[in-house]
Amino acid sequence: MTVAFAFLTGMTLVSALGVVLSRSVVHSALFMSGAFLGIAGFFVMLNAPALAAFQVLIYVGAVTVVILFGIMFTQRPQVRRFRTIINRQIWPGFFAAAGVGAFLCYILVGESWEGAEPGNGARSVAVLGRSLLGAGEGVEIFSLLFEAASVLLLVALVAAIAISRRKDEEEASR
Amino acid sequence: MGQVVGLEYLEQEPWRFLISSVTVIFLVLNIAAVLTLAERKVSAYIQLRYGPNRVGPRGILQPAADVIKLFTKENVSPGRADRWVFLAAPIAMFLPAAAVWLVIPFGPGMVVADLNVGLVYFFAITSIGALGVIMAGYGSRSNFSLLGALRGAGQMISYEVPLILSLLGVAMLTGSLSMVDIVEYQAGGFWNWIIWPQLPMFVAFFVSGLAEVKRIPFDLPEGESEIVGGFMIEYSGMTWALIQASEFASMAVMSAVASTLFLGGWQPPLPFLDLGVFNWLWLGIKTTLLIFVFQWIRWTLPRLRMDQLMDLGWKILVPVTIAWLFVTAGAMLVI
Repeated sequence: MTVAFAFLTGMTLVSALGVVLSRSVVHSALFMSGAFLGIAGFFVMLNAPALAAFQVLIYVGAVTVVILFGIMFTQRPQVRRFRTIINRQIWPGFFAAAGVGAFLCYILVGESWEGAEPGNGARSVAVLGRSLLGAGEGVEIFSLLFEAASVLLLVALVAAIAISRRKDEEEASR
Repeated sequence: MGQVVGLEYLEQEPWRFLISSVTVIFLVLNIAAVLTLAERKVSAYIQLRYGPNRVGPRGILQPAADVIKLFTKENVSPGRADRWVFLAAPIAMFLPAAAVWLVIPFGPGMVVADLNVGLVYFFAITSIGALGVIMAGYGSRSNFSLLGALRGAGQMISYEVPLILSLLGVAMLTGSLSMVDIVEYQAGGFWNWIIWPQLPMFVAFFVSGLAEVKRIPFDLPEGESEIVGGFMIEYSGMTWALIQASEFASMAVMSAVASTLFLGGWQPPLPFLDLGVFNWLWLGIKTTLLIFVFQWIRWTLPRLRMDQLMDLGWKILVPVTIAWLFVTAGAMLVI
Protein backbone atom coordinates (compact mmCIF):
# COMPACT_ATOMS: atom_id res chain seq x y z
CA MET A 1 0.00 0.00 0.00
CA THR A 2 2.72 2.45 1.03
CA VAL A 3 4.89 1.49 -1.92
CA ALA A 4 2.01 2.02 -4.33
CA PHE A 5 1.16 5.36 -2.70
CA ALA A 6 4.75 6.54 -2.92
CA PHE A 7 4.98 5.47 -6.55
CA LEU A 8 1.74 7.19 -7.50
CA THR A 9 2.62 10.36 -5.61
CA GLY A 10 6.00 10.51 -7.28
CA MET A 11 4.50 9.89 -10.71
CA THR A 12 1.81 12.54 -10.27
CA LEU A 13 4.16 15.17 -8.85
CA VAL A 14 6.92 14.60 -11.40
CA SER A 15 4.44 14.71 -14.27
CA ALA A 16 2.81 17.84 -12.86
CA LEU A 17 6.20 19.54 -12.62
CA GLY A 18 6.86 18.35 -16.15
CA VAL A 19 3.68 20.05 -17.37
CA VAL A 20 4.80 23.37 -15.92
CA LEU A 21 8.52 23.23 -16.65
CA SER A 22 8.71 21.41 -19.95
CA ARG A 23 9.87 23.59 -22.80
CA SER A 24 7.64 22.24 -25.53
CA VAL A 25 3.86 22.50 -25.47
CA VAL A 26 3.42 18.94 -26.75
CA HIS A 27 5.60 17.58 -23.96
CA SER A 28 3.47 19.47 -21.45
CA ALA A 29 0.36 17.81 -22.81
CA LEU A 30 1.96 14.38 -22.65
CA PHE A 31 3.16 14.95 -19.09
CA MET A 32 -0.38 15.95 -18.23
CA SER A 33 -1.62 12.52 -19.29
CA GLY A 34 0.94 11.03 -16.89
CA ALA A 35 -0.44 13.16 -14.06
CA PHE A 36 -3.98 12.07 -14.94
CA LEU A 37 -2.91 8.42 -14.87
CA GLY A 38 -1.40 8.93 -11.42
CA ILE A 39 -4.65 10.43 -10.16
CA ALA A 40 -6.54 7.46 -11.61
CA GLY A 41 -4.20 5.27 -9.58
CA PHE A 42 -5.22 7.18 -6.42
CA PHE A 43 -8.86 6.48 -7.23
CA VAL A 44 -8.06 2.77 -7.52
CA MET A 45 -6.35 2.89 -4.12
CA LEU A 46 -9.47 4.52 -2.65
CA ASN A 47 -11.48 1.56 -3.99
CA ALA A 48 -13.34 3.59 -6.60
CA PRO A 49 -12.33 1.71 -9.80
CA ALA A 50 -15.29 3.13 -11.74
CA LEU A 51 -14.07 6.65 -11.09
CA ALA A 52 -10.54 5.64 -12.07
CA ALA A 53 -11.74 4.10 -15.34
CA PHE A 54 -13.74 7.22 -16.23
CA GLN A 55 -10.75 9.37 -15.33
CA VAL A 56 -8.60 7.42 -17.79
CA LEU A 57 -11.32 7.30 -20.45
CA ILE A 58 -12.16 11.00 -20.36
CA TYR A 59 -8.96 12.74 -19.31
CA VAL A 60 -6.21 10.56 -20.77
CA GLY A 61 -8.11 9.16 -23.76
CA ALA A 62 -10.12 12.20 -24.79
CA VAL A 63 -9.02 15.50 -23.23
CA THR A 64 -5.30 15.04 -23.77
CA VAL A 65 -5.82 13.81 -27.32
CA VAL A 66 -8.06 16.78 -28.14
CA ILE A 67 -5.50 19.17 -26.63
CA LEU A 68 -2.75 17.58 -28.75
CA PHE A 69 -5.01 17.87 -31.78
CA GLY A 70 -5.54 21.55 -31.05
CA ILE A 71 -1.81 22.19 -30.65
CA MET A 72 -0.92 20.37 -33.86
CA PHE A 73 -3.60 22.04 -35.95
CA THR A 74 -3.18 25.59 -34.72
CA GLN A 75 0.51 26.15 -34.16
CA ARG A 76 3.91 24.77 -34.90
CA PRO A 77 5.15 23.11 -31.74
CA GLN A 78 8.15 25.15 -30.74
CA VAL A 79 10.59 25.27 -27.92
CA ARG A 80 9.93 27.96 -25.33
CA ARG A 81 12.71 29.46 -23.30
CA PHE A 82 12.77 28.92 -19.55
CA ARG A 83 12.59 32.66 -18.91
CA THR A 84 9.25 32.93 -20.63
CA ILE A 85 7.92 29.98 -18.66
CA ILE A 86 9.06 31.07 -15.24
CA ASN A 87 9.36 34.82 -15.25
CA ARG A 88 5.95 35.93 -16.43
CA GLN A 89 3.42 36.57 -13.67
CA ILE A 90 5.39 34.71 -11.05
CA TRP A 91 3.88 36.50 -8.03
CA PRO A 92 0.20 36.34 -9.08
CA GLY A 93 0.69 32.65 -9.86
CA PHE A 94 2.32 32.07 -6.48
CA PHE A 95 -0.50 33.78 -4.63
CA ALA A 96 -3.21 31.93 -6.57
CA ALA A 97 -1.54 28.58 -5.85
CA ALA A 98 -1.05 29.42 -2.18
CA GLY A 99 -4.68 30.51 -1.93
CA VAL A 100 -5.96 27.29 -3.47
CA GLY A 101 -3.66 25.30 -1.20
CA ALA A 102 -4.85 27.12 1.94
CA PHE A 103 -8.49 26.63 0.90
CA LEU A 104 -7.96 22.90 0.33
CA CYS A 105 -6.17 22.55 3.69
CA TYR A 106 -9.06 24.36 5.43
CA ILE A 107 -11.64 22.02 3.83
CA LEU A 108 -9.63 18.86 4.44
CA VAL A 109 -8.96 19.70 8.10
CA GLY A 110 -12.58 20.65 8.73
CA GLU A 111 -13.98 17.46 7.23
CA SER A 112 -14.45 14.53 9.60
CA TRP A 113 -12.72 11.45 8.21
CA GLU A 114 -14.21 8.80 10.48
CA GLY A 115 -14.57 5.47 8.74
CA ALA A 116 -12.95 6.74 5.56
CA GLU A 117 -9.91 4.57 5.03
CA PRO A 118 -8.37 3.32 1.84
CA GLY A 119 -10.51 0.39 0.75
CA ASN A 120 -13.68 1.71 2.33
CA GLY A 121 -15.27 3.66 -0.50
CA ALA A 122 -18.37 2.92 -2.57
CA ARG A 123 -17.06 -0.13 -4.37
CA SER A 124 -20.17 -1.08 -6.27
CA VAL A 125 -21.06 0.85 -9.40
CA ALA A 126 -24.78 0.54 -8.71
CA VAL A 127 -24.45 2.53 -5.48
CA LEU A 128 -22.44 5.20 -7.27
CA GLY A 129 -25.02 5.43 -10.05
CA ARG A 130 -27.96 5.68 -7.66
CA SER A 131 -26.36 8.39 -5.59
CA LEU A 132 -25.41 10.27 -8.78
CA LEU A 133 -29.03 10.22 -9.92
CA GLY A 134 -30.42 10.92 -6.44
CA ALA A 135 -32.45 7.70 -6.58
CA GLY A 136 -30.95 6.09 -3.48
CA GLU A 137 -29.62 7.66 -0.34
CA GLY A 138 -27.72 10.26 -2.32
CA VAL A 139 -28.48 13.96 -2.23
CA GLU A 140 -31.10 15.01 -4.77
CA ILE A 141 -29.13 18.00 -6.01
CA PHE A 142 -26.85 15.55 -7.84
CA SER A 143 -29.62 14.52 -10.22
CA LEU A 144 -30.26 18.18 -11.06
CA LEU A 145 -26.56 18.71 -11.72
CA PHE A 146 -26.52 15.56 -13.86
CA GLU A 147 -29.39 16.88 -15.99
CA ALA A 148 -27.81 20.33 -16.24
CA ALA A 149 -24.57 18.73 -17.46
CA SER A 150 -26.41 16.73 -20.10
CA VAL A 151 -28.22 19.87 -21.33
CA LEU A 152 -24.86 21.63 -21.53
CA LEU A 153 -23.45 18.77 -23.60
CA LEU A 154 -26.47 18.89 -25.92
CA VAL A 155 -25.96 22.62 -26.42
CA ALA A 156 -22.30 22.02 -27.23
CA LEU A 157 -23.24 19.30 -29.70
CA VAL A 158 -25.83 21.46 -31.50
CA ALA A 159 -23.41 24.40 -31.54
CA ALA A 160 -20.67 22.27 -33.08
CA ILE A 161 -23.03 21.10 -35.81
CA ALA A 162 -24.28 24.64 -36.42
CA ILE A 163 -20.74 26.04 -36.72
CA SER A 164 -19.55 23.38 -39.12
CA ARG A 165 -22.70 23.68 -41.25
CA ARG A 166 -22.48 27.45 -41.57
CA LYS A 167 -18.97 27.14 -42.94
CA ASP A 168 -20.24 24.74 -45.60
CA GLU A 169 -22.89 27.17 -46.79
CA GLU A 170 -20.43 30.07 -46.96
CA GLU A 171 -18.14 28.03 -49.14
CA ALA A 172 -21.03 27.05 -51.38
CA SER A 173 -22.18 30.65 -51.84
CA ARG A 174 -18.70 31.81 -52.77
CA MET B 1 -4.03 -25.85 -5.35
CA GLY B 2 -1.78 -24.71 -2.56
CA GLN B 3 -0.93 -28.21 -1.33
CA VAL B 4 2.58 -27.98 -2.72
CA VAL B 5 4.77 -26.84 0.15
CA GLY B 6 6.35 -23.46 -0.45
CA LEU B 7 3.93 -22.42 -3.17
CA GLU B 8 1.16 -21.07 -0.92
CA TYR B 9 2.37 -17.55 -1.45
CA LEU B 10 1.35 -17.86 -5.09
CA GLU B 11 -2.25 -17.47 -4.02
CA GLN B 12 -1.63 -14.39 -1.92
CA GLU B 13 -2.49 -11.06 -3.33
CA PRO B 14 0.49 -9.14 -4.59
CA TRP B 15 2.20 -12.30 -5.80
CA ARG B 16 -0.83 -13.78 -7.52
CA PHE B 17 -1.43 -10.51 -9.38
CA LEU B 18 2.22 -9.98 -10.34
CA ILE B 19 2.80 -13.53 -11.55
CA SER B 20 -0.43 -13.71 -13.53
CA SER B 21 0.27 -10.31 -15.12
CA VAL B 22 3.71 -11.45 -16.21
CA THR B 23 2.14 -14.63 -17.60
CA VAL B 24 -0.40 -12.58 -19.53
CA ILE B 25 2.27 -10.29 -20.99
CA PHE B 26 4.27 -13.37 -22.01
CA LEU B 27 1.12 -14.75 -23.66
CA VAL B 28 0.48 -11.47 -25.50
CA LEU B 29 4.02 -11.31 -26.89
CA ASN B 30 3.73 -14.88 -28.10
CA ILE B 31 0.33 -14.24 -29.66
CA ALA B 32 1.83 -11.31 -31.54
CA ALA B 33 4.71 -13.46 -32.76
CA VAL B 34 2.45 -16.29 -33.90
CA LEU B 35 0.09 -13.86 -35.60
CA THR B 36 2.88 -12.49 -37.80
CA LEU B 37 3.15 -15.96 -39.31
CA ALA B 38 -0.62 -16.48 -39.36
CA GLU B 39 -1.12 -13.18 -41.18
CA ARG B 40 1.27 -14.17 -43.95
CA LYS B 41 -0.02 -17.73 -44.20
CA VAL B 42 -3.64 -16.54 -44.43
CA SER B 43 -2.74 -13.96 -47.06
CA ALA B 44 -0.96 -16.65 -49.06
CA TYR B 45 -3.92 -19.00 -48.70
CA ILE B 46 -6.34 -16.34 -49.91
CA GLN B 47 -4.10 -15.38 -52.83
CA LEU B 48 -3.26 -19.02 -53.76
CA ARG B 49 0.41 -18.79 -52.79
CA TYR B 50 2.62 -20.80 -50.41
CA GLY B 51 3.65 -18.09 -47.98
CA PRO B 52 6.72 -18.47 -45.75
CA ASN B 53 7.91 -22.09 -46.05
CA ARG B 54 11.71 -22.02 -45.63
CA VAL B 55 12.39 -21.77 -41.87
CA GLY B 56 11.41 -25.03 -40.18
CA PRO B 57 8.77 -27.47 -41.37
CA ARG B 58 6.17 -25.56 -43.42
CA GLY B 59 7.70 -22.34 -42.15
CA ILE B 60 6.51 -22.54 -38.56
CA LEU B 61 9.80 -21.25 -37.19
CA GLN B 62 9.49 -18.03 -39.20
CA PRO B 63 8.40 -15.92 -36.13
CA ALA B 64 11.58 -16.94 -34.26
CA ALA B 65 13.70 -15.92 -37.25
CA ASP B 66 11.83 -12.61 -37.47
CA VAL B 67 12.34 -11.91 -33.77
CA ILE B 68 16.09 -12.60 -34.00
CA LYS B 69 16.36 -10.38 -37.07
CA LEU B 70 14.48 -7.51 -35.45
CA PHE B 71 16.48 -7.75 -32.21
CA THR B 72 19.77 -7.50 -34.01
CA LYS B 73 18.75 -4.72 -36.39
CA GLU B 74 20.01 -1.22 -35.75
CA ASN B 75 17.54 1.13 -34.12
CA VAL B 76 17.56 4.24 -36.31
CA SER B 77 15.82 7.42 -35.28
CA PRO B 78 15.54 10.56 -37.43
CA GLY B 79 17.99 13.34 -36.61
CA ARG B 80 15.32 15.93 -35.88
CA ALA B 81 13.10 13.50 -33.98
CA ASP B 82 11.77 14.29 -30.55
CA ARG B 83 13.81 11.49 -29.08
CA TRP B 84 11.98 10.70 -25.86
CA VAL B 85 8.53 10.90 -27.39
CA PHE B 86 9.76 8.86 -30.35
CA LEU B 87 11.03 6.06 -28.11
CA ALA B 88 8.15 6.16 -25.64
CA ALA B 89 5.45 5.89 -28.31
CA PRO B 90 5.78 2.14 -29.01
CA ILE B 91 5.56 1.46 -25.27
CA ALA B 92 2.49 3.68 -24.99
CA MET B 93 0.93 1.65 -27.79
CA PHE B 94 1.89 -1.78 -26.47
CA LEU B 95 0.99 -1.45 -22.79
CA PRO B 96 -2.75 -0.71 -23.34
CA ALA B 97 -3.03 -3.66 -25.75
CA ALA B 98 -1.49 -5.93 -23.12
CA ALA B 99 -3.36 -4.46 -20.16
CA VAL B 100 -6.84 -5.24 -21.48
CA TRP B 101 -6.06 -8.95 -21.10
CA LEU B 102 -6.08 -8.50 -17.32
CA VAL B 103 -9.90 -8.44 -17.15
CA ILE B 104 -10.65 -11.19 -19.67
CA PRO B 105 -11.80 -14.42 -17.98
CA PHE B 106 -9.94 -17.33 -19.57
CA GLY B 107 -11.96 -19.98 -17.76
CA PRO B 108 -13.97 -20.54 -14.60
CA GLY B 109 -12.13 -18.52 -11.98
CA MET B 110 -9.23 -17.86 -14.36
CA VAL B 111 -9.06 -14.09 -14.48
CA VAL B 112 -6.23 -11.83 -13.38
CA ALA B 113 -8.46 -9.11 -11.94
CA ASP B 114 -12.22 -9.51 -11.71
CA LEU B 115 -13.01 -5.80 -11.86
CA ASN B 116 -16.63 -4.87 -11.26
CA VAL B 117 -16.18 -2.25 -13.98
CA GLY B 118 -14.46 -4.54 -16.49
CA LEU B 119 -16.30 -3.09 -19.50
CA VAL B 120 -15.47 0.50 -18.57
CA TYR B 121 -11.88 -0.54 -17.97
CA PHE B 122 -11.81 -1.95 -21.50
CA PHE B 123 -13.06 1.34 -23.03
CA ALA B 124 -10.70 3.36 -20.89
CA ILE B 125 -7.61 1.35 -21.74
CA THR B 126 -8.33 1.16 -25.48
CA SER B 127 -8.78 4.94 -25.57
CA ILE B 128 -5.14 5.39 -24.51
CA GLY B 129 -4.06 3.77 -27.79
CA ALA B 130 -4.82 7.00 -29.69
CA LEU B 131 -2.27 8.78 -27.51
CA GLY B 132 0.43 6.34 -28.59
CA VAL B 133 -0.35 6.93 -32.27
CA ILE B 134 -0.14 10.71 -31.83
CA MET B 135 3.13 10.37 -29.91
CA ALA B 136 4.62 8.23 -32.68
CA GLY B 137 3.51 10.64 -35.41
CA TYR B 138 4.64 13.75 -33.60
CA GLY B 139 7.86 12.27 -32.26
CA SER B 140 9.11 11.23 -35.72
CA ARG B 141 8.76 14.84 -36.90
CA SER B 142 8.06 13.84 -40.47
CA ASN B 143 5.12 15.00 -42.55
CA PHE B 144 3.92 11.53 -43.46
CA SER B 145 4.02 10.49 -39.82
CA LEU B 146 2.11 13.54 -38.69
CA LEU B 147 -0.54 12.99 -41.36
CA GLY B 148 -0.91 9.38 -40.34
CA ALA B 149 -1.10 10.29 -36.67
CA LEU B 150 -3.79 12.92 -37.21
CA ARG B 151 -5.82 10.48 -39.28
CA GLY B 152 -5.30 7.77 -36.68
CA ALA B 153 -6.34 9.96 -33.78
CA GLY B 154 -9.44 11.21 -35.59
CA GLN B 155 -10.43 7.71 -36.58
CA MET B 156 -9.84 6.18 -33.14
CA ILE B 157 -11.71 8.93 -31.30
CA SER B 158 -14.65 8.76 -33.73
CA TYR B 159 -15.02 4.99 -33.53
CA GLU B 160 -14.74 5.02 -29.74
CA VAL B 161 -18.33 6.30 -29.71
CA PRO B 162 -20.01 3.39 -31.56
CA LEU B 163 -17.66 0.98 -29.75
CA ILE B 164 -18.97 2.12 -26.38
CA LEU B 165 -22.59 2.39 -27.55
CA SER B 166 -22.52 -1.14 -28.98
CA LEU B 167 -21.55 -2.60 -25.60
CA LEU B 168 -24.27 -0.79 -23.64
CA GLY B 169 -26.81 -3.39 -24.80
CA VAL B 170 -24.70 -6.14 -23.23
CA ALA B 171 -24.49 -4.19 -19.99
CA MET B 172 -28.27 -3.64 -20.01
CA LEU B 173 -29.08 -7.31 -20.62
CA THR B 174 -26.70 -8.70 -18.02
CA GLY B 175 -27.12 -5.88 -15.52
CA SER B 176 -23.41 -5.95 -14.80
CA LEU B 177 -20.19 -4.40 -16.04
CA SER B 178 -17.99 -7.26 -14.90
CA MET B 179 -16.69 -9.57 -17.62
CA VAL B 180 -17.01 -12.58 -15.32
CA ASP B 181 -20.70 -11.88 -14.71
CA ILE B 182 -21.31 -11.37 -18.43
CA VAL B 183 -19.79 -14.77 -19.20
CA GLU B 184 -21.79 -16.43 -16.41
CA TYR B 185 -24.97 -14.92 -17.86
CA GLN B 186 -24.36 -16.74 -21.16
CA ALA B 187 -24.09 -20.22 -19.63
CA GLY B 188 -25.93 -23.25 -20.96
CA GLY B 189 -25.41 -23.56 -24.70
CA PHE B 190 -24.93 -21.37 -27.74
CA TRP B 191 -28.58 -20.25 -27.89
CA ASN B 192 -27.99 -18.31 -24.66
CA TRP B 193 -25.16 -16.23 -26.10
CA ILE B 194 -25.71 -12.49 -26.24
CA ILE B 195 -24.96 -12.39 -29.96
CA TRP B 196 -28.53 -13.47 -30.79
CA PRO B 197 -30.50 -10.67 -29.12
CA GLN B 198 -27.68 -8.21 -29.93
CA LEU B 199 -26.75 -9.16 -33.49
CA PRO B 200 -26.67 -5.57 -34.89
CA MET B 201 -24.64 -4.52 -31.86
CA PHE B 202 -22.17 -7.34 -32.50
CA VAL B 203 -21.72 -6.22 -36.11
CA ALA B 204 -21.30 -2.61 -34.99
CA PHE B 205 -18.79 -3.68 -32.34
CA PHE B 206 -16.84 -5.71 -34.84
CA VAL B 207 -16.70 -2.91 -37.41
CA SER B 208 -15.68 -0.29 -34.87
CA GLY B 209 -13.19 -2.77 -33.45
CA LEU B 210 -11.67 -3.08 -36.92
CA ALA B 211 -11.36 0.70 -37.06
CA GLU B 212 -10.04 0.90 -33.51
CA VAL B 213 -7.16 -1.48 -34.28
CA LYS B 214 -6.49 0.32 -37.59
CA ARG B 215 -6.81 -2.65 -39.92
CA ILE B 216 -7.96 -2.76 -43.53
CA PRO B 217 -10.50 -1.47 -44.60
CA PHE B 218 -9.77 1.24 -42.00
CA ASP B 219 -5.98 1.37 -42.20
CA LEU B 220 -5.82 5.04 -43.17
CA PRO B 221 -3.28 5.87 -40.44
CA GLU B 222 -0.85 3.46 -42.10
CA GLY B 223 -2.01 3.84 -45.69
CA GLU B 224 0.87 1.89 -47.21
CA SER B 225 0.07 2.96 -50.76
CA GLU B 226 -0.36 6.69 -50.07
CA ILE B 227 1.51 7.71 -46.92
CA VAL B 228 3.83 4.66 -46.92
CA GLY B 229 3.37 3.51 -43.36
CA GLY B 230 1.99 6.66 -41.77
CA PHE B 231 2.79 7.10 -38.12
CA MET B 232 5.31 4.21 -38.11
CA ILE B 233 7.28 5.28 -41.17
CA GLU B 234 10.43 6.25 -39.24
CA TYR B 235 10.59 3.22 -36.97
CA SER B 236 13.00 0.35 -37.39
CA GLY B 237 14.36 -2.60 -35.46
CA MET B 238 12.95 -3.21 -32.00
CA THR B 239 10.72 -0.11 -31.88
CA TRP B 240 9.06 -1.15 -35.13
CA ALA B 241 8.69 -4.68 -33.79
CA LEU B 242 6.99 -3.33 -30.68
CA ILE B 243 4.54 -1.32 -32.79
CA GLN B 244 3.74 -4.39 -34.87
CA ALA B 245 3.36 -6.47 -31.71
CA SER B 246 0.93 -3.93 -30.30
CA GLU B 247 -1.10 -3.95 -33.53
CA PHE B 248 -1.38 -7.73 -33.49
CA ALA B 249 -2.01 -7.81 -29.75
CA SER B 250 -4.81 -5.28 -30.04
CA MET B 251 -6.36 -7.29 -32.87
CA ALA B 252 -6.23 -10.38 -30.66
CA VAL B 253 -7.64 -8.47 -27.71
CA MET B 254 -10.55 -7.15 -29.79
CA SER B 255 -11.34 -10.72 -30.85
CA ALA B 256 -11.06 -11.98 -27.29
CA VAL B 257 -13.33 -9.21 -25.97
CA ALA B 258 -15.86 -9.81 -28.75
CA SER B 259 -15.95 -13.53 -28.02
CA THR B 260 -16.18 -12.89 -24.27
CA LEU B 261 -19.02 -10.41 -24.50
CA PHE B 262 -21.04 -11.77 -27.42
CA LEU B 263 -19.99 -15.39 -28.00
CA GLY B 264 -20.10 -16.75 -24.47
CA GLY B 265 -16.43 -16.46 -23.54
CA TRP B 266 -15.21 -19.77 -22.19
CA GLN B 267 -18.72 -21.25 -22.12
CA PRO B 268 -18.89 -24.35 -24.34
CA PRO B 269 -21.36 -24.15 -27.26
CA LEU B 270 -23.27 -27.22 -26.09
CA PRO B 271 -23.67 -28.21 -22.41
CA PHE B 272 -22.15 -31.70 -22.77
CA LEU B 273 -18.94 -30.25 -24.26
CA ASP B 274 -17.93 -28.84 -20.87
CA LEU B 275 -14.17 -29.36 -20.44
CA GLY B 276 -13.90 -28.19 -16.84
CA VAL B 277 -10.56 -26.50 -16.23
CA PHE B 278 -9.77 -26.73 -19.94
CA ASN B 279 -12.70 -24.51 -20.92
CA TRP B 280 -10.17 -21.85 -21.89
CA LEU B 281 -9.85 -23.88 -25.11
CA TRP B 282 -13.30 -22.63 -26.10
CA LEU B 283 -12.27 -19.02 -25.62
CA GLY B 284 -9.16 -19.80 -27.66
CA ILE B 285 -11.17 -21.34 -30.50
CA LYS B 286 -13.65 -18.47 -30.65
CA THR B 287 -10.88 -15.87 -30.51
CA THR B 288 -8.94 -17.63 -33.25
CA LEU B 289 -11.99 -17.74 -35.48
CA LEU B 290 -12.59 -14.02 -35.03
CA ILE B 291 -8.91 -13.28 -35.70
CA PHE B 292 -9.24 -15.27 -38.91
CA VAL B 293 -12.24 -13.11 -39.89
CA PHE B 294 -10.09 -10.01 -39.24
CA GLN B 295 -7.43 -11.38 -41.59
CA TRP B 296 -9.97 -12.54 -44.14
CA ILE B 297 -11.39 -8.99 -44.28
CA ARG B 298 -7.89 -7.55 -44.55
CA TRP B 299 -7.00 -9.56 -47.64
CA THR B 300 -10.41 -9.10 -49.30
CA LEU B 301 -11.57 -5.50 -48.97
CA PRO B 302 -10.06 -2.25 -50.31
CA ARG B 303 -9.35 0.75 -48.09
CA LEU B 304 -12.03 3.36 -47.38
CA ARG B 305 -11.54 7.09 -48.01
CA MET B 306 -11.40 9.41 -45.00
CA ASP B 307 -14.86 10.89 -45.62
CA GLN B 308 -16.37 7.45 -46.19
CA LEU B 309 -14.80 6.34 -42.94
CA MET B 310 -16.32 9.24 -41.01
CA ASP B 311 -19.70 8.74 -42.71
CA LEU B 312 -19.74 5.07 -41.79
CA GLY B 313 -18.93 5.84 -38.19
CA TRP B 314 -21.18 8.79 -37.49
CA LYS B 315 -24.04 8.32 -39.93
CA ILE B 316 -24.52 4.54 -39.86
CA LEU B 317 -22.96 2.91 -36.80
CA VAL B 318 -23.95 5.51 -34.20
CA PRO B 319 -27.65 5.72 -35.26
CA VAL B 320 -27.91 1.94 -35.60
CA THR B 321 -26.48 1.32 -32.15
CA ILE B 322 -28.68 3.99 -30.54
CA ALA B 323 -31.76 2.56 -32.27
CA TRP B 324 -30.93 -0.96 -31.12
CA LEU B 325 -30.37 0.39 -27.60
CA PHE B 326 -33.99 1.60 -27.62
CA VAL B 327 -35.15 -1.74 -29.05
CA THR B 328 -33.31 -3.58 -26.27
CA ALA B 329 -34.76 -1.32 -23.60
CA GLY B 330 -38.28 -1.75 -25.02
CA ALA B 331 -37.92 -5.51 -25.21
CA MET B 332 -36.65 -5.65 -21.64
CA LEU B 333 -39.69 -3.65 -20.49
CA VAL B 334 -42.17 -5.86 -22.36
CA ILE B 335 -40.69 -9.28 -21.61
